[in-house]
Amino acid sequence: MASRTRRQGAAHGAPDGSPRRRLPMRLLLPMLLLVALVAMLMLRGYVHSEILADHRVQPEASTDKVPEKIIDGGPVIDTRSGRTTSLNVPDHRMVLTFDDGPDPTWTPKVLDVLKKHHAHAVFFVTGTMTSRYPGLVRRMVAEGHEVGLHTFNHPDLSYQSKKRIDWELSQSQLALAGAAGIRSSIFRPPYSSFADAMDNKSWPVTRYIGTKGYITVVNNTDSEDWRKPGVREIVRNATPKGGKGAIVLMHDSGGDRHQTVQALDTFLPRMQKQGYEFDNLTEALDAPSASTPVTGAELWKGKAWIFLVGASDGITGAMVVGLSVIGSLVIGRFVLMLVLSGAHARRVRRKDFSWGPPVTEPVTVLVPAYNEAKCIENTVRSLMASEHPVEVIVIDDGSGDGTARIVEAMGLPNVRVVRQLNAGKPAALNRGLANASHDIIVMMDGDTVFEPATVRELVQPFGDPRVGAVAGNAKVGNRDTLIGAWQHIEYVMGFNLDRRMYNLLRCMPTIPGAVGAFRRSALERVGGMSDDTLAEDTDITMAMHRDGWRVVYAEKARAWTEAPESVQQLWSQRYRWSYGTMQAIWKHRRAIVEKGPSGRFGRVGLPLVSLFMVLAPLLAPLIDIFLLYGVVFGPTEKTILAWLGVLMLQAVCAAYAFTLDRERLTPLISMPLQQILYRQLMYVVLLQSWITALTGGRLRWQKLRRSGQVATPGGVPTQRRRVAHEERESIR
Amino acid sequence: MSALPPQSPWPPSAGGPMADLPPSRAHPGRATNGTLFTDTAVRTDPAPPAAPASAPTADAPPKRAPVRDRYFDLLRAVALFRVVFYHLMGWSWLPVVFPSMGVMFALAGNLMARSLKRPATQVIRSRMRRLLPPLWLLGAIGVTGMVLQGWGPNSEGHPGWWWLHLTYWIVPLSDPPYADGLPGFHHILGEDWGAELAGPLWYIRAYLWYVLLSPFILKALRALPWSTILSPIALAAALEFGWVHIPSVRIDSAVTDFSTFGACWILGMAHQEGILKRLPRYVVPSLVPFVAALGLWYALTHGFKAGHDLDDIPFAQSLWSFATVLLLLHISPSWSEWPRPLRRFDRLITLLNSRAVTIYLWHNLCILIAATLWDRLWGFDALGEHYAWLLNSSWPVLVLVWMLIATCIVSFGWMEDVAAKRSPQVWPDGHQNKPAHKHR
Repeated sequence: MASRTRRQGAAHGAPDGSPRRRLPMRLLLPMLLLVALVAMLMLRGYVHSEILADHRVQPEASTDKVPEKIIDGGPVIDTRSGRTTSLNVPDHRMVLTFDDGPDPTWTPKVLDVLKKHHAHAVFFVTGTMTSRYPGLVRRMVAEGHEVGLHTFNHPDLSYQSKKRIDWELSQSQLALAGAAGIRSSIFRPPYSSFADAMDNKSWPVTRYIGTKGYITVVNNTDSEDWRKPGVREIVRNATPKGGKGAIVLMHDSGGDRHQTVQALDTFLPRMQKQGYEFDNLTEALDAPSASTPVTGAELWKGKAWIFLVGASDGITGAMVVGLSVIGSLVIGRFVLMLVLSGAHARRVRRKDFSWGPPVTEPVTVLVPAYNEAKCIENTVRSLMASEHPVEVIVIDDGSGDGTARIVEAMGLPNVRVVRQLNAGKPAALNRGLANASHDIIVMMDGDTVFEPATVRELVQPFGDPRVGAVAGNAKVGNRDTLIGAWQHIEYVMGFNLDRRMYNLLRCMPTIPGAVGAFRRSALERVGGMSDDTLAEDTDITMAMHRDGWRVVYAEKARAWTEAPESVQQLWSQRYRWSYGTMQAIWKHRRAIVEKGPSGRFGRVGLPLVSLFMVLAPLLAPLIDIFLLYGVVFGPTEKTILAWLGVLMLQAVCAAYAFTLDRERLTPLISMPLQQILYRQLMYVVLLQSWITALTGGRLRWQKLRRSGQVATPGGVPTQRRRVAHEERESIR
Repeated sequence: MSALPPQSPWPPSAGGPMADLPPSRAHPGRATNGTLFTDTAVRTDPAPPAAPASAPTADAPPKRAPVRDRYFDLLRAVALFRVVFYHLMGWSWLPVVFPSMGVMFALAGNLMARSLKRPATQVIRSRMRRLLPPLWLLGAIGVTGMVLQGWGPNSEGHPGWWWLHLTYWIVPLSDPPYADGLPGFHHILGEDWGAELAGPLWYIRAYLWYVLLSPFILKALRALPWSTILSPIALAAALEFGWVHIPSVRIDSAVTDFSTFGACWILGMAHQEGILKRLPRYVVPSLVPFVAALGLWYALTHGFKAGHDLDDIPFAQSLWSFATVLLLLHISPSWSEWPRPLRRFDRLITLLNSRAVTIYLWHNLCILIAATLWDRLWGFDALGEHYAWLLNSSWPVLVLVWMLIATCIVSFGWMEDVAAKRSPQVWPDGHQNKPAHKHR
């Protein structure tokens, strides 16, 4: 069903810019994924108090607006529905209160000690911690303790608006409902202490919270355990004078609480011996319980919240793992490239280095051309200047702009033109192969220009009988614009680092269509070019490897090519490359289990290529997500420094590649921006390829389109078709 | 009653653009000569269109048609509109979105470099002649008003100083003086109108200095292009970090403004000289975001907020304006005609361009009057009770401001024509002499 609608849509959109119609879809899915990831990251940051946290604490204020009876009264303050009363805990009763929890390390220990001594207590939990450790809150409730609210992420409420206070309360209740299925009506404001510390800033907040139906619970005996003063000191601080009732402040979170736990273990039995009961608040006051069960929609909302927080923690954990994987992959790859490309350059640049006896026999140059009227003359002329004897065959793949006539009109003796109906580049190359007179075949693009020495340098490796194919060094000619400079950097790195590395590892994935040479016998053994994939150059290179041929890189065989100048063109070129590479990997997947050279390539080359070209880029957006997160929510400086560090590493690699190729270093100034804009474009392209590969829809569609083109005699070839043909060449 | 609409927050160096005053197509019949060569219009009045291009120098860019670059016209109009808008609304992010002052100085620098193919003294004289008469008109009216309200030689220290400073109204080598804390005027003109009136004049002073220094700057630019372009930013940094200290307030503000926008002026000259074209095209977009980010970061870490914006953080302003101007000049598509979507704004943009000085000089007074008038509506209790949101809104005031500016164009704009030795026009929107016919 889906594929049918898609095809219809494409058929309608074909004549006038169907690429534009597809744009939303290919952007939409990656965007949705990205938004979901970012949302999860934000949620995690939020419950980890990295986002929206407010650490300001109000300095003491005057107290003239706080009623006397509150200042002189007990620690349980009731301001509900206009009341202004406060209560004390009866003598010989003690309410232990633990703030800021639950904490995964210390709360269980506190709970264990309380259980051991059959004591009940009150935990004032924050919403963030409740969301993260719902199990502990459940255990508190199950063991008879009371749970009170301590806001969601612990701000000083006197700085906050009413709206924010409401939200702190409701969000905490949501977390509590999700964790333990209850609501609580007792509240302790962050940074509170005794009732007599109420001032003009905090009193209005207390009153406001009362109107929301909460009882505010401060304390009257501060253990000061957060100072870690030692077990004995904590016990002394927590002991009330003369058998009075007390609400004792302790903490089960926010740092190392082993002193608190140890103190409790001494304190509880000692006080119990003195006749104290350890109750939770409402038990101590003989009041009805502060918690009410939650049911229905509220309960499910809470559960959903807890689930989401759990999921965000899990996903963020996975993302961090992914980030470290990609980080080590990126760095490992750079290091490997630096080492291996250095080794390769040293080897082939040694004075006594040679591939074998010099190759001087004439070669056939195949120039497949589709509507190359503008460039073809330069291309052919550059070949005429070749220092190596060549036979040139221009295969005109059904051009509508007189490409073939232009070449014929040049009247050059060793240039032949072969015409065919538009059948695609692989067919054109096969036809040229059939017409070739020599045993070494050079393939180039109709918009590429060779230097006089290019052909000679390109074929020298065939002096080694094991070499079946050679990759030349394609260079971007139009590097003046930003997009050109970015591709220039990419090409120089791709040829001088990647290809040298792959050369030594014997798994070069692609002979660039712009400049490559093949042994004819090798091509014939693997059955020539194939149109099974969108990247016939990758396909044929892999086939060569599997047939046991060496594929090497000839650095001095330079070809000047024209890189796409618009984002649209670049997009379709890269989409074809990345999807074509995936197709080729899939096509040659059997190599993994085969024996001999094919198996070697399958077990070394294919995984490497898959890892670096298909898998690693998929994880790479994590770098940007974390970069953005770090910059916005901190630690900003560390994040930027880390990013600059990675950038420096890349710059070093790029500079090394440029030096190897004797290129000027100035285009490297466009690298930082490249990291911010260009790379991301490439991810989206890759992601689009993945989506295509997984849904399988686009391949069929492409083939349909192509046959449609061929069936239209005399039809004006559309721009789209041209792009599809011409941009597959060039380099990888 | 007291709720004054948020009106012109006047950071002393907020500013207005103006005005290299390309005379525009005010006189369609012979405008081509004027084009960007406002000064040549004087002598070679009915000159053939090719006249301005008659002396191309070696490093002039190859494509230089003697037609108005509509792209620059658009930038100037947007800058001017943004200045008025910002002085009314006071939103601190507006100068970040479009740094009008830098853009205006760059456009002026560009024209100055173009004119300097003729002898420097002649160019400077004609520039001053174009610039100063509209200022004198403002001064004649403004200073008279201040004196009528009691401002005089004894208002500030020694009378000698007052008289001396008063000459700055004639040649604004330093900021023209004004009466502080003036009372309002019949509920039409708000309080302290003197300060509002004089607020934008720093631009005229800075502009005058750039004009005077341009011949030297141009020499330096040709000898050491990039050092010259970057030197004002270095000066801004030196002032910001206290490496240089200038005791006199008057000199300090002059040097600060020079350093803040000097790079923009020089960039405009460099654009004209073809220096920017010599860079590979990827260089500017590669570097500009980082310069801009540095400027923004500096602003954000140095108290950028409402009421303390880029104008109060000159170093950040210099970086941000430099980056923006560099990018705008890099893009510079050189339109000899309007692209289709902009064609309908032709008359409006032409008008804004040909009355840039007038609009700039008078807009702040217009804002004050409009805000004062709008405030009077609070006097009607029914309005205040039911339409407080409307009375608090600045948008109706904006409409009022532009209506008042239109009045100023009609009343005072002719001075620009007189200064350019053209016959005065009422409404020079490039479409013959249909007086006071608005197209907006």
